[in-house]
This record gives sequence, structure tokens and C-alpha cells, in this order.
Amino acid sequence: MKRDRTDAIFTALADATRRQVIRALSEQGPATATGLAANLPVTRQAVTKHLSALAEAGLVTATRRGREKLYQISPRPLTDAVSWMADLGGRWDERLAALRDHIAAPRRRR
Amino acid sequence: MDAVEREVTVPAPPGEVWPAVTQSDEVSAWFGADAQLEVRPGGRGVFRWRDGTERHVVVEDVEPPRRLSFRWLPFQRTAAGEIVLVPSTRVEITLDEVPGGTRVRVVEQPAFSLGSPPARSGGRVLAAIGS
Repeated sequence: MKRDRTDAIFTALADATRRQVIRALSEQGPATATGLAANLPVTRQAVTKHLSALAEAGLVTATRRGREKLYQISPRPLTDAVSWMADLGGRWDERLAALRDHIAAPRRRR
Repeated sequence: MDAVEREVTVPAPPGEVWPAVTQSDEVSAWFGADAQLEVRPGGRGVFRWRDGTERHVVVEDVEPPRRLSFRWLPFQRTAAGEIVLVPSTRVEITLDEVPGGTRVRVVEQPAFSLGSPPARSGGRVLAAIGS
């Protein structure tokens, strides 16, 4: 997996409102900016801006519906981000097992 | 995005485990990379893996013998010698005395999930990149 892509994803998710938008889309399914703004404590204009940032990171995709765009979650990048975290966890498992062995080793050199 | 949390219990008191997680030669013995750490708030550190990968950290909190935290800077030198951007994460290692030894707990999470980094940390990170 490309790390720079993960970085773009984490950057996009750095904002609390953007995370709320993602959560709303995953709970209520595809929605327009107007539909999302109705359930979020921000203006439609702000939601549109956040949706653009999320779309740029590849986290949501948009399809035109009449005068508005219908947004939906694009699951692949989120899976990438989750697998990156899983990878990180695996590395710490190895390190901590090695730390335990290091500490437990009799008469380790100080 | 949840944090990565891992822990292990090791058979030694925190006072003996602390050097193992802070002294460069000891960290190098278990981390999987050669470590050069300057353990003081704002101190720099570099980890070099055997394949040539290199990453830098800035040390944040140091409370011997209980707590160490550092931030991975958001780039790495790859085995091929390229500099690529990677997610910046913050690592916190805490040592707690438990029956039979010390519980070592590691939490690593994207740096952003703590909110905006305090100005002092941001300043350190920028200073570290700039020097």
C-alpha cells in the first residue's frame, strides 16, 4: 500500500466535522450536502467544503443528482487506513515481545 | 480512527525497565532498528532499520521511570534513499509496577487525533525539520 495515500486519508480525517460527515454517510447511506447539513451542526456550505476535501482524499465519491451531488463512502481507502493501523499493531507486538525477551535475558549487559 | 494500543508485562521493576526503553543501545536491542535517542523534552532521535529505512522522532514528555512520549516526524528515508511523506504519529510508552514486574503499555496514534498539537510541540517539530 502506498503510504502517501494513507497520509492524505489521515489528513482528511484530521478534522472533527469531516469525521462526523463520514460517520453520517456510513449511517444514513448516500446523501446530498443539504441532507447531511440537516443533521450536522454546520452550514450546507461548510459541509460541501468538507465533502470536497474528503472526495480529494478518495474517501467519498460523488454522483450528480439534479442540481445537487449525491455523496457516498468509498470503502477502499478506509480499509487501507485500517490495514495500516493493523500493520502498526503487528510491529508493536513484535517489538514488545523482543523487549520482554531483552529484559528477561539473564545478566543482560547494562 | 482508533489508536494502536499494546502492552506486555516484563519481569523487572520500572526502574530497571526505564533504561531499556530510553537508552539508545538498549532500545536498539529490541526495537528492530538502530536507535539514537536524546531523551529530554524536545530531544531528537533517529531510527535506522537494517534495510536502510530511516525515521526521525522528536521526544515530547519524559517522566522517569514512568512515561515517555515521542512524535514520529511525517517523512521517512526509504531503503532506496528517497524521502517520502508518511503519517505523523505520536507514541506514548508508560511503565506501571504490577505484581511480578512492570506492565509496559504502548499507545500509538495519528498525531492529529489529539487535536491541534500544542504550539510548543509544533515549534519543536518544525525546528527539527528545519535543522
